[in-house]
Amino acid sequence: MSPNSETASYRPGASGIPPSANLSAQPLSTIALVLIGIGILTFLIAITHGLAQRAWEAFLVNLLFFLGIAQGGVVASAAFYLTQGRWAGRAHYRLAESFSGFLILGFVLFWFLLFGREWIFPWIRHPVPAKTTWLNVPFLFARDGIALGVMTLLSLTFLSASRSEEARQWAATSANILMPPPIIRRLAPAVCICFALVYSLLAFDLVMSLSPLWHSTLFGWWFFAGAFWSAVVTMAFTAVCLRRVLGKGNIFTEGHIMRDMGLMVFAFSVFWVYTLFAQYLVIWYADIPMETFFIVLRVHYLPWAFMSWLTVSLVWAIPFVTLLGIRPKKTPAILGTVALLGLVGIWSELYVLIVPSLSPRTIPLGWIELLITAGFLGAFWLCSYPGLKIAAAAAMEPIGESH
Amino acid sequence: MSAEVELVGAFADEERLVHCIGQLKAAQTRFRVFSPIPSHHINSAIYTRSSFVRWFVLLGGITGIVTAFMLTIGTSLEWNLVTGGKPIASIAPYCIIGFELMVLFGGISALTSWILLANLPTFEPLSGYRPRFSSDEFGLVVRCAEADAERFESVLRDAGAQEISREAA
Amino acid sequence: MAAAVKDINLDPTFADIDRSVRAIMEPPGLRYWLWIGFLLALTLTGGALWTNQIYNGLQVTGLGDPVMWAVYITNFVFWVGIAHSGTLISAILYLFRTRWRTAVYRAAETMTIFAVATAGLFPVIHLGRPWFFYWLAPYPNQRFLQPDFRSPLTWDFFAISTYLTISSLFWFTGLIPDVANVREIATGWRKKFYTIVALGWQGSDRQWRHFSMAYLLLAGLATPLVLSVHSVVSWDFAMGQLPGWHSTIFAPYFVAGAIFSGVAMVLTLLIPMRWVMGLEDLITPWHLDNLAKVILLTSLVVSYSYIVESFMAWYSQDPIELMTFHMRYFGPWGWMFWVMVACNCVIPLLLFSPRIRTSTVPLFIITIFVNIGMWFERFVIIAGSLATNFEPSQWRFWHPSITEMGITVGAFAWFLMLFSLFARFMPIISMTELKEGITWLKQALRQGYAKAA
Repeated sequence: MSPNSETASYRPGASGIPPSANLSAQPLSTIALVLIGIGILTFLIAITHGLAQRAWEAFLVNLLFFLGIAQGGVVASAAFYLTQGRWAGRAHYRLAESFSGFLILGFVLFWFLLFGREWIFPWIRHPVPAKTTWLNVPFLFARDGIALGVMTLLSLTFLSASRSEEARQWAATSANILMPPPIIRRLAPAVCICFALVYSLLAFDLVMSLSPLWHSTLFGWWFFAGAFWSAVVTMAFTAVCLRRVLGKGNIFTEGHIMRDMGLMVFAFSVFWVYTLFAQYLVIWYADIPMETFFIVLRVHYLPWAFMSWLTVSLVWAIPFVTLLGIRPKKTPAILGTVALLGLVGIWSELYVLIVPSLSPRTIPLGWIELLITAGFLGAFWLCSYPGLKIAAAAAMEPIGESH
Repeated sequence: MSAEVELVGAFADEERLVHCIGQLKAAQTRFRVFSPIPSHHINSAIYTRSSFVRWFVLLGGITGIVTAFMLTIGTSLEWNLVTGGKPIASIAPYCIIGFELMVLFGGISALTSWILLANLPTFEPLSGYRPRFSSDEFGLVVRCAEADAERFESVLRDAGAQEISREAA
Repeated sequence: MAAAVKDINLDPTFADIDRSVRAIMEPPGLRYWLWIGFLLALTLTGGALWTNQIYNGLQVTGLGDPVMWAVYITNFVFWVGIAHSGTLISAILYLFRTRWRTAVYRAAETMTIFAVATAGLFPVIHLGRPWFFYWLAPYPNQRFLQPDFRSPLTWDFFAISTYLTISSLFWFTGLIPDVANVREIATGWRKKFYTIVALGWQGSDRQWRHFSMAYLLLAGLATPLVLSVHSVVSWDFAMGQLPGWHSTIFAPYFVAGAIFSGVAMVLTLLIPMRWVMGLEDLITPWHLDNLAKVILLTSLVVSYSYIVESFMAWYSQDPIELMTFHMRYFGPWGWMFWVMVACNCVIPLLLFSPRIRTSTVPLFIITIFVNIGMWFERFVIIAGSLATNFEPSQWRFWHPSITEMGITVGAFAWFLMLFSLFARFMPIISMTELKEGITWLKQALRQGYAKAA
């Protein structure tokens, strides 16, 4: 994509379908396809050469990472409707929804976990007798599959309602106290409630159960708060990129939009560290061995301590200190960098949660993980591309009235 | 040396008053705006830099955190008894005290700095103040030389002032 | 009294808003003073019971091993929780630039101040030797003794003190322009009082400049404070190893519960106040609707927390944890748990209906149920978990005493008395901010009343 505004031409859409821009990202799509190929190849090579453990670890981390962004984006759009936020007209709705293309692929890839289940779930080879009612393969895949299926269907229904003409009209004018259209008023709360329940379940089943003797009641909430933040941060990063690519007149050049994005990145990063601290403090204070072992492995001993502190720095410390003032929020270079680092941070958070349960003594981070991540990234890009075109078009539309 | 007069214009809404301010700033004359509600438009029309209150709050917050950690770590080392198997200087719980004192000192700084910077408390009416400016009217008070009074009066009238009074300054 | 719908002015001016709010502050009649007298009587009864408790010791209560914390600490958590919603509405919703906040935030904030003042009494009330309460503070002394900063009770002291201070500063700052407004038409001792309180505020551009920045920053400071204070209160319990108490979800769960009970209390106060004082032209159905939505949202969060706690107790397969929860649901105090679930999880689901959200009587009744449910939730967690602790031979179920129930009632009366006094003598609705958001008020009036007129 070149920064030249002529390449981003605007095509008005047919009625009922939101307009999409021509982003002409051909070279990037080709790269994405190549990356997907490399990713699949690496995965197959790893599995056939006795490195299946690492391949499946990377698979799970990336699946949860990108699914979190895609789903979190849909939830962000629902949250904007529920709070009647029209501070960027329609643009922030389309921006939040742009990554939703990955939802279906993510649901399909979830079922692939069946093939790697022996490598991922330690309780298959070493069952925990007291917990077999909950931790057994048929029940886990049935409940998680149904939950994820319901979540995906609900999200897709919500998306089509959100992209309807009625909803777009509502979002375009902000000088009134009207509520969103009735169908949105029913679907948006449903999406948010379903997200909290389904992603808590996924957190308990796919991450927490990897250390089957450990539990933390706040874990699910913290997990989906992190997923939501990863979506917010991806939105901010995308806004910064679109601002450069779309040229003059796009809505992301307005300072107050950047400021509001920066505020969201700041605020939810603080919420993430708050829920992290709430778990850490409670477990540290009571010092119950059944709870502390999980944290001690990740925070108090090398090699994992390094990655834990890296995670906290990238997800909280850097955004907090950098985005405290108003001017840094409005500076695209700063916001974009912080957002990118934050994404790396959430990836490493998932890595630190999942992998030590399966590989306590070493950090298996190398070409396998890198190339599989690249493959997922390519797939994510291709899935998000249609949504990004719609978001680009929305960014070029003028806002009806100022709020 | 010509005598100074004070023109007091009462406005029903802020929109047109904001237009006036630009002209008055260009003429480099002294003026003051009274308003019953906080107005972002009026504020950004008159002032280019943000209020210094935020620096005092930042200072207060930093003082709070430093004080909290000095207090907690210092007193723990003074009476270095192990309680609950925790380290003498246990940072995790001290973060809570640090956070609370940061907010406390920051908030107190906010209040004292804004009151002092706004030159409160003051029990003398500021020149040009009318009681209705605290209720439902906006006021624009211009201080100028007697010779310029006519010009500024017409500026105020064009902007939609409902009543204009002229007094000796 | 309540205004007839057809009399409501759908297109108010600044002067109309001023007139409506100033009318509330006219010298009140006999009925008002009878109400205050009644509340004062209840408060003094509570005070007398407390005096008796100080003289005779905690034996007059039902407290005893292992239930060392029961009604007093339940009240403490209850009132601190109520306080949080006021700061949510005034500070957090200010940062969100919410449009419906302006008519209700002053009443909510006032509720906060008096709720914290009420809550702050209980840590002193529940002490065996209340004259030593100052030991929690880090003051210089001859032996260089200091509180244990590792203890949640010390964190509590810092958190509640900070919360009371910051809320008061924020509340006071916002009051100044309104008190200046009222000062202009007041006479006699009232004028002197308002003149002093308003600090001579005249609304000049210089004054507004610093005011606005301070207000924004105080809102920004109060926001994380809301999260932290009730988290610290929840950690009074979560830091312990007691099953039913030791749970990582307590911090955000208690915060959500606090907002839940607090916004319900705001409506419990606002709906009668609106009816008695004739404020339908300022607090419209739109405002009630949005407050009800906050109640619904936080009710769902609280329900989520109940589900996760119960699930995790089962998932852990820890026999003691399982027994604690079994006793919580089916033990001698199980009825309290089911009252709590009905009031907190089931009844608020009615708020999914827009018609109920904008009807004053059903909404009022629902908020009463929420207050009851949330009081029981704190009791079930605090006293229920203590009563059935690790050692079954220690189990002992607490019985209520006149002292504890009397002081509880006295605390409610004390709170209502302070709130009622404020409502008649100070501006309980923010004229300044209502005028600032007059566009939305006009739309809300049209939306709420145009059909009926």
